[in-house]
Amino acid sequence: MARVLRLSAFRLAIAYILLSVVVLGVLTVPLRYAWRQNIEDARNELIKEDAQSLSDILERHGIEALAAVIDARVARQRVGNLIYSLSNAKSIRLAGNLSALPRGALETPGIFEWAVEVNGRPVEAMLMHASLPGGYDLLVGRDTARFARVEAFFVYSLAGAGGVILLVAVIGGLAIRRSLLAELHGINQTASAIVRGDLSRRLPVSGGTDELETLAQTLNRMLDQIEHLVQGVRNVSNAIAHDLRTPLAELRARLEMLLVTKPSAEETRLEIESAVADVDRVIGIFNALLRLAQIETGARRSGFVQLDLAEVACEAVDFYQPVAELRGIALTCTCDPGIVIAGDTLLLSQAIGNLIDNALKYVQKNGAIDVGAVICGDTVRVTVADNGPGIPSDEMPKVSERFYRGDQSRGTPGVGLGLSLVAAVATLHRGGLELTDNRPGLRATLVLSRRG
Amino acid sequence: MKVLLVEDNESVAGFVRKGLSEAGHVVDHANNGRDGMFLAASESYDGIIMDRMLPGGIDGLGIIGALRKSGNTTPILILSALSDVDERIRGLQSGGDDYLVKPFAFGELLARLDALVRRSHATDTETTLALDDLSLDLLSRKVTRGGKTLNLKPREFKLLEYLMRHANQVVTRTMLLENVWDYHFDPQTNVVDVHISRLRQQVDGGAERPLLKTIRNAGYMLTADG
Repeated sequence: MARVLRLSAFRLAIAYILLSVVVLGVLTVPLRYAWRQNIEDARNELIKEDAQSLSDILERHGIEALAAVIDARVARQRVGNLIYSLSNAKSIRLAGNLSALPRGALETPGIFEWAVEVNGRPVEAMLMHASLPGGYDLLVGRDTARFARVEAFFVYSLAGAGGVILLVAVIGGLAIRRSLLAELHGINQTASAIVRGDLSRRLPVSGGTDELETLAQTLNRMLDQIEHLVQGVRNVSNAIAHDLRTPLAELRARLEMLLVTKPSAEETRLEIESAVADVDRVIGIFNALLRLAQIETGARRSGFVQLDLAEVACEAVDFYQPVAELRGIALTCTCDPGIVIAGDTLLLSQAIGNLIDNALKYVQKNGAIDVGAVICGDTVRVTVADNGPGIPSDEMPKVSERFYRGDQSRGTPGVGLGLSLVAAVATLHRGGLELTDNRPGLRATLVLSRRG
Repeated sequence: MKVLLVEDNESVAGFVRKGLSEAGHVVDHANNGRDGMFLAASESYDGIIMDRMLPGGIDGLGIIGALRKSGNTTPILILSALSDVDERIRGLQSGGDDYLVKPFAFGELLARLDALVRRSHATDTETTLALDDLSLDLLSRKVTRGGKTLNLKPREFKLLEYLMRHANQVVTRTMLLENVWDYHFDPQTNVVDVHISRLRQQVDGGAERPLLKTIRNAGYMLTADG
């Protein structure tokens, strides 16, 4: 991962540099082209005019005068870029500063660049040949060194500008890479730590609003959710292991005792009965888990029908009524009649039953439990309120987790799946389970969507 | 009675077969769908215990469907490891009469089989159910014991009616939950026992001979014997 990030930052820097070069090129290439065209045209024009004026001198004043003019010009020049050569039909030099006639120069029309010798030193020159009347050959030229300097200056400044841009680009690219890497490094390190198993790590967040910050915040929220889920799975596995291990351990001990002690027939029968009861407990836990999984996948929505919730709730109350009476608890049903929703009768019976069953477990003698149902906008709220000991507020969010058993519930029967099932049923009905303090006691509210 | 057991798992089959034989029933066993289909169609049974998933080309629901199509009305108890309510509905829709999820207690199996077989003999046209000096009038919904009228709540009436319809048979807690309350789940508590003990107070309270008996490890029985 770090490698790829580094590579991508490097690529970013390279792309930045290339972009700068392209921009520079786009700016300078036409400029240089125009400049060059202009300079060369002007130079060629100069050479042509020069040749023309010399040719005029020959016509008007004769060859002697022309040779004198050329020699005078050569002698007079200061910069030293004028090149002339005048020769007769026999190629004998009459005037000029060109040491020797370049081979083939007299046969080539137009203006060309030639390597020649002027007064014994080699120069690059632009030469034009003109055939004059009387068989004379005139070569007019300009030393390009002077232009080459200007051109070199142009190229150097261009290169300099390019260099500066390149340098800025490289530094900028490196800086971008550095800052990007520095930000990504934190993310990378955290991610690596999480991969190694430390799920509590979070990405560094400074509270800004830029893209990386937003990304980090989103990732942190995702990590929260993952940690919660992993924690849930871990809890469930631990709880299953614990809750199944206890009856299995008892079962094993019982059977092994039978093997070792060889008790009387009656005693053996009793032990086997207890062993079967142990197995039934294990099967009960499995069934509850399967049922929960089934509800949570939402597959049961196909079984939804229109039902009267008040009827379902009152039947559940009716079912538990004898138990309540036996324990001296007042169990009442105060449901508005005719609350029709789309739902699963069986699951809702079981959910409401579980809530009543829970309340019955904790409420003391002479306590009271009330089951009520009211329509509340788009939802129906089924409330099971008791005046028992309630749930400490710090345990509230945990009680509907699988196998969670509060400190007070240790030693009471049950496997700790009751409220999980209620919550799952509520979710299936597009609602939720709310647990609040009834001062005193617990108020469990099953919120269900009326539309199903 | 004569029972056909179609079950491919040897250990479950052995356990059921032995239990039924000990309860005094004659058991034929088929360990695949083909043999099961053949036996069910060619022999006459009082009841059939049918596993859902079977080797031999035809599964339990297939056999049941074929039997029902050919006009065979033998009561059938489906055994299955599939515990979904939907699966249960599918099993009953195919023509099964009752559905028992594996793993099960043998007492449960026996009680359900008993209930199925006797129901197929009973007539539903009676308007009064009677056992010893206990009588229940289905039309006036009046219950008397030894001439004295018992004041039962609707659900208690339904519970007693079910017990009387299955008099002299073991009735399990699950059977009561399913048939009296229509609750196809395990409420995990002894609520049924509490209902029974309240009913017992009403029915047997003050009477010389108790009729409503608890059968250890199985359930309850309404009987005048013993």
